[in-house]
Amino acid sequence: MDFTYSPKDLAFRDELRGWLAANLPQGWGETVFLPEDEDENAMFRLDWERKLYKGGWNGIAWPKDYGGRGATLVEQAIFAEEMARAKAPEGLNIIGRNLVATTLLHHGSDAQKARFLPKIISGEEVWCQGFSEPNAGSDLAAVRCQAVRDGDHFVVNGQKIWTSFAQYSQWCILLARTDPSAPKHKGISFLLVDMKTPGITIRPLRQISGECEFNETFFDDVRVPVENLVGELNGGWRIAMTTLAYERGPEDALGRQLVFRQELDQLLATAAKLQRGNRSAIEDGLLRQKLAKSLVGIEIMRLNCLRAFSKSLKGAPRGAEASMNKLYWSHVMQDMFDTAMEVLGPLAPLTAGDAHAVDGGRFQLGFLRSKAFTIYSGSSEIQRNIIAERVLGLPK
Amino acid sequence: MDFDFNQEQYMFQDTVRDLLASALTMEHLRSGTPAELWGQLAETGVFALLTREEDGGLGLGYTDLALIFEEFGRALVPAPIAAAIVAGGAIARFGTPEQRAQLLPGHGEGALRLSSAFAETVATVPAAMTLTARPTDAGWTVTGSKILVPDAAAADKLLVALRFGDDLGLALVEPSRAGVTLREQDTLDLTARYHEVIFDHVTLTAGDIVGGRPDPAAVVACFDAAAAVAALQMTGMAARTLDEAVTYVGQRKQFDRVIGSFQAIKHRCADMAVAVDACRSAAYYAAWALDEAAPDERARAVSMAKSWCGDNARFTCNQAIQLHGGIGFTWELGLHLFLRRIKCEEASFGDADWHRERVIGATLRSMELAG
Repeated sequence: MDFTYSPKDLAFRDELRGWLAANLPQGWGETVFLPEDEDENAMFRLDWERKLYKGGWNGIAWPKDYGGRGATLVEQAIFAEEMARAKAPEGLNIIGRNLVATTLLHHGSDAQKARFLPKIISGEEVWCQGFSEPNAGSDLAAVRCQAVRDGDHFVVNGQKIWTSFAQYSQWCILLARTDPSAPKHKGISFLLVDMKTPGITIRPLRQISGECEFNETFFDDVRVPVENLVGELNGGWRIAMTTLAYERGPEDALGRQLVFRQELDQLLATAAKLQRGNRSAIEDGLLRQKLAKSLVGIEIMRLNCLRAFSKSLKGAPRGAEASMNKLYWSHVMQDMFDTAMEVLGPLAPLTAGDAHAVDGGRFQLGFLRSKAFTIYSGSSEIQRNIIAERVLGLPK
Repeated sequence: MDFDFNQEQYMFQDTVRDLLASALTMEHLRSGTPAELWGQLAETGVFALLTREEDGGLGLGYTDLALIFEEFGRALVPAPIAAAIVAGGAIARFGTPEQRAQLLPGHGEGALRLSSAFAETVATVPAAMTLTARPTDAGWTVTGSKILVPDAAAADKLLVALRFGDDLGLALVEPSRAGVTLREQDTLDLTARYHEVIFDHVTLTAGDIVGGRPDPAAVVACFDAAAAVAALQMTGMAARTLDEAVTYVGQRKQFDRVIGSFQAIKHRCADMAVAVDACRSAAYYAAWALDEAAPDERARAVSMAKSWCGDNARFTCNQAIQLHGGIGFTWELGLHLFLRRIKCEEASFGDADWHRERVIGATLRSMELAG
């Protein structure tokens, strides 16, 4: 066992640290934060992504041929950690960089790679993901959005839901039914859709936090050129599964863990400051126990990631441990935000606008947002099915 | 960056697992530890592993023992064996050359038995311990008691944590010494004997004190090692009860279906698997910290592991009993042996609440926050 990085990796870290210090706005994370307005926030993150690209820091895991650095897994982990440590914003084109690029690298034609990859990494083209539908969530293979061949085009009709960033996207990856008569997993194709095509309507969906990150997207006789089919006709399900398998790796989770730890550190600082009766909230024995549970839970998340990561470094294929990690951290973090609200006590109901609101209402926002953790990227119930069947070998 | 064990460590685990699979069956656990077990385990090197090479040992660390203690938990190896290894480790690290030469060769061969005496009726952690050695002309005299000492009656030497004035220290005392009496205790754990060790004006000399003088840091280091070992063993117990449950629900049929195909059952099993996996992360890191980390980080790592593994071994074992239905509640099945042992380990060397308080106290101090 060894918890240190090599001198070469430390040099990589220092180079990145130096670049971040020079390129994030003065006072970033202390006095200067992301814009509160959602559109401004998105544009800020897009500008940041383009800046990362110009500095050579976007899509670092990509092969050098496509503008990446061919970064090692350790370098990817260091990147995720340093971005979190600097509280750097996440670039807007998450779906483009992580999902679309991985899919095209594995399954795209040479022409598709040449056309799309450079504009993803440069931040010129933002992507969204048209997978889920109102009646195809956990049962994704039930998609009904149809693509019918008409000459050298597919004509797409149907509805997608939870399409994050659709309002900022130039392109969309779309799962559409191309053979309604085949068994449901065998009649789906994977298409690349230009969001400027006539017939696409985007309607924002307001989330329980009040934000509108995601949308409903409607396709009404949308014409998609056949060259925008990825892989084989009716072979889309297999492609979608590899896309989702590579959605997030353990190196990425290390960065996420640091962000969670920062949130908890802020909560501890707030608890030390908040008066509760004739003492501070942090002196309350019961709250201390709950905060300690979160501390232990979040630190173990890091250890879980490092164990999974060490296995990947030795070449172990990615398997169901991603489900174990996701199920673990999503519940640990929901519990932490429950505790946060308890720590705030009488001030818990007060949100950002109120004069007595604590820390600009960040914990209320976090509490509301945390409800999504156990739903997105595979709900806890789906993760439990995966673990029970693929790790423990229980029957379907 | 490598949070994984090496090939030798995994091979050592396989060796010990194979040995325990035949040497320690459920029948043995019910009827008492087979006498040969100490010798068989000694042949694998587990008792000599922490002893320095210059003292005839293997000069390895707790990281090398982590998977072994997990196997101990899996096979429910009775508590006196882990207690002996921890006591030997403290002597190896903090003992005088004479103490090391006198005790460690026999300990390594499994011929000389050590046990450790930490718990009191009012304390499981060093700061709360009350047993005190009072100075006399010849050295010190001790009156009081320690409880739950694993098989003190079979031990040649007991490693006893106690106070010398204001300082905590570790002393080595034979159960046969004048003034020492043993009383066998009724306990939840049916796989081993435990004794109350009663001291009535027992004389200690400087030669009895580990390292020659009281050393509070040695007491805390030994306590941390024992707590981490408890966490590792509970990890193994949790893993075993998960395996037992998965095997059972994969065979048991009700409503014409294997019950493991029901989501209500699967989801419990998945939660258990996640709990066991996190136990491993916490306990392995604690083992590494015993060898490599500074005392503050060691304490934090150990306390995270002891609190997490205690809560989650209990959770996993409870679920395993539930998933077995009526059979799970029978004496015959034997899952209760795990339930009983886990409860004893949970209560030993600081319970989960105490360790969580230690984690948050240290965290707040490191952040320079009040409280």
